[in-house]
Amino acid sequence: MSEALAGTEAERAESIRMIRDSAAAVAPRGGDTRRVRALRFKDPGFDPAVLREMGALGWIGLRAPEAAGGAGLGMGEMCALAEELGAGLAPEPLIPSVLSATLLAAAEDRAALPRLLAGETYMPTAWQERPDTLEVPGSPDAPRRFIPQAAGAGGFLLPVREGGRIALYVLDAAGADLAIERTQDGGNYGTLRPALGEARRVADDVGAVLARALDEAALATAAYLLGVMERSFDLALNYLRTRQQFGRVIGSFQALQHRAADLRIQLGLTRASVESAAAALDAGAEGAVRRAAVSRAKARAAEASLLVTRQVIQLHGGIGYTDEYDAGLYLRKAMVLANQFGSAALHRRRFMKDAPEGAEE
Amino acid sequence: MTAAPAAPAEPEDLNALDDEAFRLHVRRWIEANYPPELRHPPKRLHWKDNKVWYFKLAEKGWLCPGWPKEHGGMGLSPSKQIIFTEELERWGCTRTNDHGIVLLGPLIINYGTEEQKRFFLPKILSGEHIWCQGYSEPNAGSDLASLRTEAVEDGDHYVVNGQKIWTTLAMDANWIFLLVRTDKQAKKQEGISFLLVPMDTPGITVKPIINLELHDEFCEVFFDNVRVPKKNLVGRINKGWDMAKALLGFERIYLGSPRQSAYALKGLRALAEHTGAWEEPEFQDRYARLRLDLEDLKAFYGVYVAKLRRGETLGPDVSMLKIYQTELFQRITDAMLEIAGENAGLLGPIEGNRDLNPTGLYIQARPATIYGGSNEIQRNIVAKNVLGLPG
Repeated sequence: MSEALAGTEAERAESIRMIRDSAAAVAPRGGDTRRVRALRFKDPGFDPAVLREMGALGWIGLRAPEAAGGAGLGMGEMCALAEELGAGLAPEPLIPSVLSATLLAAAEDRAALPRLLAGETYMPTAWQERPDTLEVPGSPDAPRRFIPQAAGAGGFLLPVREGGRIALYVLDAAGADLAIERTQDGGNYGTLRPALGEARRVADDVGAVLARALDEAALATAAYLLGVMERSFDLALNYLRTRQQFGRVIGSFQALQHRAADLRIQLGLTRASVESAAAALDAGAEGAVRRAAVSRAKARAAEASLLVTRQVIQLHGGIGYTDEYDAGLYLRKAMVLANQFGSAALHRRRFMKDAPEGAEE
Repeated sequence: MTAAPAAPAEPEDLNALDDEAFRLHVRRWIEANYPPELRHPPKRLHWKDNKVWYFKLAEKGWLCPGWPKEHGGMGLSPSKQIIFTEELERWGCTRTNDHGIVLLGPLIINYGTEEQKRFFLPKILSGEHIWCQGYSEPNAGSDLASLRTEAVEDGDHYVVNGQKIWTTLAMDANWIFLLVRTDKQAKKQEGISFLLVPMDTPGITVKPIINLELHDEFCEVFFDNVRVPKKNLVGRINKGWDMAKALLGFERIYLGSPRQSAYALKGLRALAEHTGAWEEPEFQDRYARLRLDLEDLKAFYGVYVAKLRRGETLGPDVSMLKIYQTELFQRITDAMLEIAGENAGLLGPIEGNRDLNPTGLYIQARPATIYGGSNEIQRNIVAKNVLGLPG
């Protein structure tokens, strides 16, 4: 356990509060969405200056050990940060950057890591070869798919299977065979055909580190979705309190009140799930217990965020279906992230495999 | 079986133990002292069957965990009380006739006169007074404040006329605490008073109601010119509603305890293994969802337990736990019935095995969304008092 995690409960709570405060500077909760809208549907899908700001704030190195230039903070802090970014719909690829920073820190690579940590070069890890998986086959020539915000990448990390091990390569984006597809939230996915001849080998075996880092990315994504659904729900609550029909505010109708109460319960469950999973990881949970905690939170956040964001459209009626209104931004963000780093179904299956027997007791 | 370990010395101050030590201390005593034949009773037991446990707890001094020590209680902090209850639930301990312990005692401690405290509290602790609760009426259920059973002054007495219903285990009780209307002109919440009445007073009639478990757990209680001494009024006249409401306090968290759903889920798994449904992927996915719902409920419940541990009072948002827990309990028993085949029609457990009792649990789960404030009322509370939606 790193030093930063050894503090008292009160010190941890303070550290998490500070992270939330600093997040508000970049992604103000309930702030206007003009910035987010301006970046939609064109390359690179995010603001490189904001990614650099995130780097300067130490967020990309939040999980990396202090010896590698990181902050060595816990998943409690990471999840608080991701939640705030979700509430602000920040399109900057922080979670993929943190994943890559974990790998490069483990590889003790001094060449690429500083620029990644500073947010000067976005360098996502191209690990995925098919949809809905957390497995890393590491095929040397298979296309790597669903690389988030790849249009803004200055390089890629490539895990490659060599015998029983997963070696790590760094590939420059210039000249790479990369295809870009737009995503619902205005960002993009890249498909990369790896060219190992051009790549630089930086580590012999990152298999175990990568598996853990993917779990942390899944949990952080669950936290980001928590922020998305909270903000989306706030929109609906404001609407229910002000919109008038039949001579009364529609929030006084019991059918809508009960639906809102049910959505609020899902928010409560999601927060409890994410925060208890983060606490378990920070307390040193390992192996199957660690995986089960992550899967529980991601399964909940994936399903609940889709439920909340689509119900929020319905609660608004026609205005909710317009692109001009923000409800759609949250819906689309949930569509992109619900299945990233594993769908609800994948995580339910994994939970059943990994959760310790008799955990019901 | 190995010999029971020597009983550890009773610590001076249970509150001074850390939570885990306290939990183990309680667990050890329960396991050594609880009558094994009463574990996980399929129905709520009557006084004649549960009093053995009532007296064991009384003898140990553990009957009233929430009462202050000066009144004969354990004086446990709220978070220790939660642990105490969790341990009782874990071992499948029966509820006793506990209305005096849980509801009336705290009310008298907070609002009663010195004379009422001296008279009533020791008789709850000794098991001499067994209480029942007279709140609901045929036309005052969810809208309890519209109750109409009235008490009219007549010299040193009130004269009570009217009817109560859903009075749990009234046939076992020798006293009843009542919400009665004492001012018909006032706004409905402001004309209600709190009265204590011996059940053998002339004019009281008790009629059991058979519920869907085919069990006489509830009663109707009729009042026909029942004379109650004025000294049996608790608190001030017309102020009974606020007192009764204040009592709901942190006990509401118990309705959201995951234990009921956890017990049912174990039953679902045993049943699925028995029927072979366990091998089907479709069932596996359904089971996984229920199990994850339970795990997240535990985490959610843990948030509220942590609040109590920090000494915070619980707000109206605790209603969310009650809604989710009771509906999860029902969803689990729904699944039981669906995989049970023709056994879903059995009156008793499958092959007489109490661990394979889908129909018993299915029926038991029905009232969970009704009692303690129906889930519709709880959703109103969340909407108005948590989300701030207009009335």
